[in-house]
Amino acid sequence: MRRFLGMVLFAICVPLSMVLLGRAVYWLVAGAEYLATSLGAPPTYGAAIANVILLMLVFVMTTAALLTIGERKWSAMIQNRIGPNRIRVFGNSAGGIFFLAADALKMLTKENINPSQRSRVLYELAPMAAFAPSFALFAVVPVGPAVDSVVNGVRTTVALQVANIDAGLLFVFGIASLAVYGTALAGWASNSKLAILGGVRASSQMISYEVSLGLALVGSMMAYQSLRLEEMVRAQGQLLWGFLPALGFFLQPVGLLVFFVSAFAETKRTPFDLPEGESEIVGYFVEYPGMKFGMLFLAEFIEVVVLAAITAAIFFGGWHPVLFEGWLRENLSPIWFASVCAGAFLTKVLLLCWLQLIVRWTLPRFRFDQIQKLCWKVLLPVALANVFITGALILVDPSLELLGLVGLVEIAAMAVITAAVSRKVEVPAHAHAAAAAVAGH
Amino acid sequence: MAIEEKGLGERDTGAAPRSAGERPFEGQHRPETYDGPLDAPLGGKQMVVNLGPSHPAMHGVTRAVVALEGETIKEMKLDIGFLHRGFEKSCENVTWGQCFPYTDRLNYVSSIMNNVGFALAVEKLCKLDVPLRSKYLRVATAELHRICDHLTLVAAMGLELGAMTVFLYGVEARDLIYDRLTEICGARLTSNYVRVGGVSRDAPDEWVEKTLQTLDRVTELRDTIDALLTRNRIFMDRTRGTGVMSREDALDFGFTGPCLRASGEPYDVRKSAPYLVYDRIDFDIPVGAHGDNFDRYLMRMEEMRQCDRIVRQCFQQMEPGPIVVEDLRYVLPPKPLVYGTIEGVMAHFKLVMEGIKVPAGEVYSYTEAANGELGFYLVSDGGGRPYKLGLRAPGWPMVAALPHMTKGALLADLVPTYDSINMIGGEVEQ
Repeated sequence: MRRFLGMVLFAICVPLSMVLLGRAVYWLVAGAEYLATSLGAPPTYGAAIANVILLMLVFVMTTAALLTIGERKWSAMIQNRIGPNRIRVFGNSAGGIFFLAADALKMLTKENINPSQRSRVLYELAPMAAFAPSFALFAVVPVGPAVDSVVNGVRTTVALQVANIDAGLLFVFGIASLAVYGTALAGWASNSKLAILGGVRASSQMISYEVSLGLALVGSMMAYQSLRLEEMVRAQGQLLWGFLPALGFFLQPVGLLVFFVSAFAETKRTPFDLPEGESEIVGYFVEYPGMKFGMLFLAEFIEVVVLAAITAAIFFGGWHPVLFEGWLRENLSPIWFASVCAGAFLTKVLLLCWLQLIVRWTLPRFRFDQIQKLCWKVLLPVALANVFITGALILVDPSLELLGLVGLVEIAAMAVITAAVSRKVEVPAHAHAAAAAVAGH
Repeated sequence: MAIEEKGLGERDTGAAPRSAGERPFEGQHRPETYDGPLDAPLGGKQMVVNLGPSHPAMHGVTRAVVALEGETIKEMKLDIGFLHRGFEKSCENVTWGQCFPYTDRLNYVSSIMNNVGFALAVEKLCKLDVPLRSKYLRVATAELHRICDHLTLVAAMGLELGAMTVFLYGVEARDLIYDRLTEICGARLTSNYVRVGGVSRDAPDEWVEKTLQTLDRVTELRDTIDALLTRNRIFMDRTRGTGVMSREDALDFGFTGPCLRASGEPYDVRKSAPYLVYDRIDFDIPVGAHGDNFDRYLMRMEEMRQCDRIVRQCFQQMEPGPIVVEDLRYVLPPKPLVYGTIEGVMAHFKLVMEGIKVPAGEVYSYTEAANGELGFYLVSDGGGRPYKLGLRAPGWPMVAALPHMTKGALLADLVPTYDSINMIGGEVEQ
């Protein structure tokens, strides 16, 4: 009961704190714009720098680091364990948050063992090559809506997005495909048989899944008529039949499924953790000590956050709070409404991270050939079919209502299929031993 | 020269790792094959990967040297013996009663079954019949340990396929059973519970009720594992059709136990040659059809249900009574007799110092342990110690068949196959 109340409290506190965080970020970005204008630069420069620091460094980094602890705690709850609680400050373990500092300290102070036959430059480069692209992906994610304001006498907008580039989604695909270099290089450069197996697995898996990853989003691009994530998010604010928000979840359920699975494969976590495969080949980072391993490890968690952010932006309405949106818009000042929107987005990101943790701690791992089969024989045809069907439906009815209707039917069909498949139970044949009785005891 | 002969200092080229001067295992160069006149030859060298002795997938301490082409296993060599303790020889140096702690260490996950097997062998040689209650206690505790063993297998299989949650559920259930076994025999792992002529202790008060409650909880956890794995698409894909062992091959390799039954041969010592009270108990033995990893997993799941039935029936049928034969030639006398009577002191002294006088002769006795037929071959010269002892470890044929089962499979298939045969270092390497 105490734990339940704690969880309810937690569930209330998280969105509230996210809203306050959003408010703080808006304030800081506006402050940076003020600073930029006082220095004679355009206000957007200040906004971009502030966004890079606040969103990418502070939010993504902090969330990813906290996810390492959250994963331990949540997996403990799944597994009927207590979880990290050994490090206490004033007798309080605070849900294991202090392990963050302990882990960082441990990794930084570990002996720096370098395999003697490594390829030195690539070996040192690999953790960075794995770390940086997943970070950069967050640049195009719109965290909150743009708010018009007057800063230092200049009319400008304050937006929580690092870069609103035209080729938003193409940037996502391009940068996401760079992430493979880190793992492949780590496997190859460390000159270990197990590591190279991991590296080869990683490169083939990630390159395969990029295809379905890209195709899964084509439907959304067509539906929202844009490549900019910011515009895709805004388009999800419209209502179908006057009540149903045009979320990607309703319009593109198949696309969501394919995208989520493919992106999961890109993060290289169970059930797609073949490059790691800790019980088979130990992983592509087997030869990395200390913080170099830490960077490869943290890159995975950053990918989790970024994947959650992109999924939330394209399929779950981005910063639209969805519930009571009209009421909130009318009754709050623009800046507070924007803060609520940012809070809603960050909460969605956290929920999707949480969903990934559940999947990771529930499912076993695929085999190498099955992963390729899933990609090329299931996800790719499904994504292609989704592209054609979506295109046809938009051609027939540009108001998206037909697409929404088909989407709802698809959701219902998926639910029915899932329920039907999970019913079948297999019982092994029973037989009394017919073997001839042997003279026994 | 003298120093070299004693094996001091100098490197002994004949010794491990290249045992007995054998050429090191390097894999083969793939012959260049042309499928057609236009095909370019893809000659390549196999990659030899050394898994173990300390590797997450190698239970206990085993080393597997695998020659890979891509990820396909072309050849595999198992290097066992890291856990060799000289079980058979050790037993010759101690009295019959002192062998029991050694048998604990055979299959250390289910030690009581080894105790029972050894006790039955000695009793067969002595032509000794034990009291009914001790038979029920032996069966109940042994079946509890069978649940432990199967839980370990299923849980470890989940763990090594990446589903760590399953492992912790399984271990929770296993620990509950270990707690009950601790209450009855005083040790979690090395129970040393059975004696020649009976069992060492009776069940404590309310142990039966507590055990029944434990079984209810274990059933819950087992059903959770069942729900997580049995219909799990990924798990089925990983285990179905991998590590296949046909019925004929299984018989040829000398499989017994769940692995043999998974291949479709309904052979269970508890049914075909019932010992103790198995003929009074109603239970089924599951039989598989394909002999793959998934069937072996299903065998374990179903056998746990049957074990549950057996234990519950034992508790119903069990009646109060003596737990050891009242014969001072075999069983230590109760303490008042030792301290109060000269016969008691003498019997105690003789049993401790000289051991049970087992009639001269030889015997092979076999029981159904968790992994299959556990056989003890005993030779007695009429003295207090075994003259010779031979063990048929149930896990050994399965381990020997591993290279056969994984040939041509992917490296990733090695993991579930290795799990599903339940290689326990203690018994295989003795």
